[in-house]
Order: sequence, then structure tokens, then C-alpha cells
Amino acid sequence: MWRPELIGLTMTRTKRLLASASVLAVAAFAASPASAAGTAAGSTITNTVTVDFKVGTVSQTQQSASDSFTVDRKINLTVSEIGSATTSVSPGQTAVVTAFSVTNASNATLDFALAATQLVGGTAAHGGTDNFNVSNVKMYVDTDNNGTFNAGDTQVTYLDQVAADASITVFVVADVPLGRSTGDVADVRLTATAAEATTAGTLGATVTQTVGANTAAMDTVFADTATTNGNVALDGAAFADDDYTVLAAALTATKTSKIISDPINGSTNPKMIPGAVVEYCIAVSNAAGSAAATSVNISDTLPAQTLFVAGSIKVNATVSGTTCSGGAAGGSYAAGPPAVVSGTLGTINPGASSGFVFQVSVN
Amino acid sequence: MRIWIALLALAAPAAAFAAGPEHVSLASHVFVERVKPGPGGKPVTVREAPGIVTPGDRLIFELDYRNVGAEPATGFTITDPIPASVAFTGGESENALFSVDGGRSWGPLGSLRVAGPNGASRPATPADVTHVKWAFARPIPAGAAGSVSFRGVVK
Repeated sequence: MWRPELIGLTMTRTKRLLASASVLAVAAFAASPASAAGTAAGSTITNTVTVDFKVGTVSQTQQSASDSFTVDRKINLTVSEIGSATTSVSPGQTAVVTAFSVTNASNATLDFALAATQLVGGTAAHGGTDNFNVSNVKMYVDTDNNGTFNAGDTQVTYLDQVAADASITVFVVADVPLGRSTGDVADVRLTATAAEATTAGTLGATVTQTVGANTAAMDTVFADTATTNGNVALDGAAFADDDYTVLAAALTATKTSKIISDPINGSTNPKMIPGAVVEYCIAVSNAAGSAAATSVNISDTLPAQTLFVAGSIKVNATVSGTTCSGGAAGGSYAAGPPAVVSGTLGTINPGASSGFVFQVSVN
Repeated sequence: MRIWIALLALAAPAAAFAAGPEHVSLASHVFVERVKPGPGGKPVTVREAPGIVTPGDRLIFELDYRNVGAEPATGFTITDPIPASVAFTGGESENALFSVDGGRSWGPLGSLRVAGPNGASRPATPADVTHVKWAFARPIPAGAAGSVSFRGVVK
């Protein structure tokens, strides 16, 4: 999962730590050719032994022996999901983001071909069952390295020239279809495949292992490992899954009416006679555990036998059971025909209700 | 591959000088130590020529020596700097001396210390070793041969 507004700060701090760690790594590299990914592929390791001795009391010429071998290329990479939780999305939401980290654990610079695919059914990354697909799936590299998907990031299909030990953040960005319900899950998988870093700016050929006997020159072996999520060992590729979980608003509307007054009885025990004023209450409630609903538009066509009471619309009324009270003046009336009252309610949080109130007189 | 070439190169002069002024012949080897499934599925440790070698592989460095002269060789001292891309992991032939400062000072590993931060020092560990040395107290008689070895891991 990935929630920029919640963990953006933490991410930034982590990035800073990483940045200073990189500086240390560079310093260490200068002192020794080794790093966490190991001695650079193609390096020659030479061991030279010297022997000093005397014959009688006379020191003899020092003798030496040496041997050398070439360090081969060990292809290892990991893909991991950043955040360890699902990304909560709304139906119809665009550019929803999951974040992955692709790490080159090889002892050589590589390109990585990227592919974002989707599960069809099956258990999603964070436990739910995949039951829909997101659309318009794109991949971006975190160009500005701030851990947050933003306009500064670049859409990519591969990672170019990833140094040994480097980790790159990749965002998978997609759109959620309309009509999905709370709890629906879409799983996305990011797969990285090792490719030759032959030319900067171009995805190189897929890396292959050296076939047959060892050569004196640099050989290539796959060293990636199997993981519990199904990654296969020694294939020069790795993947990780993340998922989107829909959190929709679940709105229900209830319409009730009460007689306010009639021309004979006034407001005391009014009867439904011509000239009576009737107040309608449209109570909109959002189920607990749903997403907050914003911009809830209400529109109601008046019965033909009624006449709208000017200025009687109230929005955001307090709902108690199915009755409305209070509220703020607002909304609008269109004479039609048909005559229509409409208005917009404020945000309705999960478990909360809001009312839309108007009055009509009976012809 | 390369090691065999190196060996051939070494073997040739050694043979040529066996009767000449050369007193000692040397041959240096590197082996990769791997654990492989053996008979009955039991893992066995095998030594291989350094074919595919990648970081993390365990190595055995071995030096074979032979006194090919007519006289005993005295003060016989073998000095072996650990290659920069190799971490010493022990397994050395007995009576070795170590240096953790590039060969300036020597001693048993347990006696050596490494400067730490803030002027403090700590006991040296195998990974700190920069050189291994064997200084033979007894002469190597004419015609005698032996070998010394140690283990390391590719960084």
C-alpha cells in the first residue's frame, strides 16, 4: 500500500538516511572494491605469495608465485512492495498508486525490464481475493527520488543502468473502474527482468547465463532466490505484488413527510387539506465502514398537486431516525414543469447522516 | 583457466632451474570450496578449480613449495598478502603469523588489535587480516616439500 499523505514525511526522512548511506558506501568503495553486492564482475583476483630463505647464511633472491582468476557476474535482484499494506481507493478514482522497490543485488550494472501485470482471481498481496482489474496501468520511476508519485516522475518500461547495490522506487499507477464496492480487491504485480546495460538510454538484451564450461573471461550466473510469494530461483527475474482495496461510500436515502399546518387548524393537529403545508425530509445516511461521501447531490421532482414554498429548502439538516431538523438555507428550485428542487449536501462521514428539507403546499 | 596457465608458467621454469641456481620451486593454487549433493543425497564439500566465482564463494589459497636445491633452505618464510577482494576467514596452516596493518607488525591473531573510532582499539577479527606469514624455525632439507594454505571468501 502506499498513502502519500500519511507516510510522505517518513519516506522523505528514510530517503535522506539512504542518501547519506550512499555517500558512506561510495567512500567505502574507494577504500576497497567490495560492496554489499560484492566484488565487481570482471575483476581479477590475484594472489601473490613471496618466499624468503637462506642457504647457509646467505639470503637468496626472493621468490614469488601467483595465480589469478576472474570474478564472474552474479545476477541477483529483488522486487519488494513498499508499505506492506493495501492501497485504499474509491470507485472511479484515477491515478491510484502502489510503490515498489527494485534492487540490483548483482555485482554489475544492469538494466531491468519492467512489467506490471494483474492477478485474475487468487489471493492478493494483502490477503483479500482479487476480483477486479484496474485500468490504464502505467509505471513510473521516482525520478526526483522523494518517495512520492508526482509530476516530476518519469513513465518508464524499464530501468536504465542500475548500479550494483542500487535500489530504485517504481510506482505503478492505474485507474479504478466505477461501480466497485467496498472490499473489492485488485492485485498488481511488478516484475523486473535483468537485462544487459550495454547502452545508456536503451534497454539491453535479456541477460542469459553462461552456457557450458567456465571461461577465463567474465561468466554470468543467476543467483536470485525463491520466495514464499512464488518467485522462482535462478531465473534472472523477480516480482512483488501489491493491491488496491476499494472503499466506497454506501449511501441510502429515506424520504418522509409531515404536515406543518393547514388553513383551518394552523399548526395544531394540521390535516392534509388543500392549502396545507407539507415538509419533506430526505435523509441520506452513509453506512459505517464506508468511505466518506462528498458532494452528495439531491434532486427531487415535486408531485403535480403541490406548489413549492419559496425559500424553504434547507441542506445539511440534522437527521434523527427518519426526521430532519435544523439545516442551512440553500439549494435551488426550478419551476419546470416538472418542478424540481435540488441541492448539495456536505461531506457525509461513514456512519453519519445528513438531511435535505423542503416544503410544499397542497393544491 | 587462468590458474592453469599460471601453473604451467610456473612449472616450466621450476623444472628448468631444478639443476641450476634455483633452490626452491613454488606453485600457487586457488580452489573454490563448494557444498554439493553427494551419494545418498548427503552434502559433500568439494574443491574445484576457480571456474564460476562470484561474491560469497569460499576459496582455499594453497602454496606448494619444494626445495629443489642441494642445500637446506633456512629462514624459510612464506608471506601471503590477502587479495583486496578477498576476506580472510581462517583455516590457515599451523604456526601462521598475521598482520592487520599491511605487513608492518605481526603476531598471532589473538594478540593483534585494530584501531577503532574515538582512539579506542578492539581485538582483531579474521576479516581484519591483511597478510599471513609462515616463518619456519627449522631448515627445509634438500628435496623436501610441503604446502601451506588458508581460506577466504570473495567479497
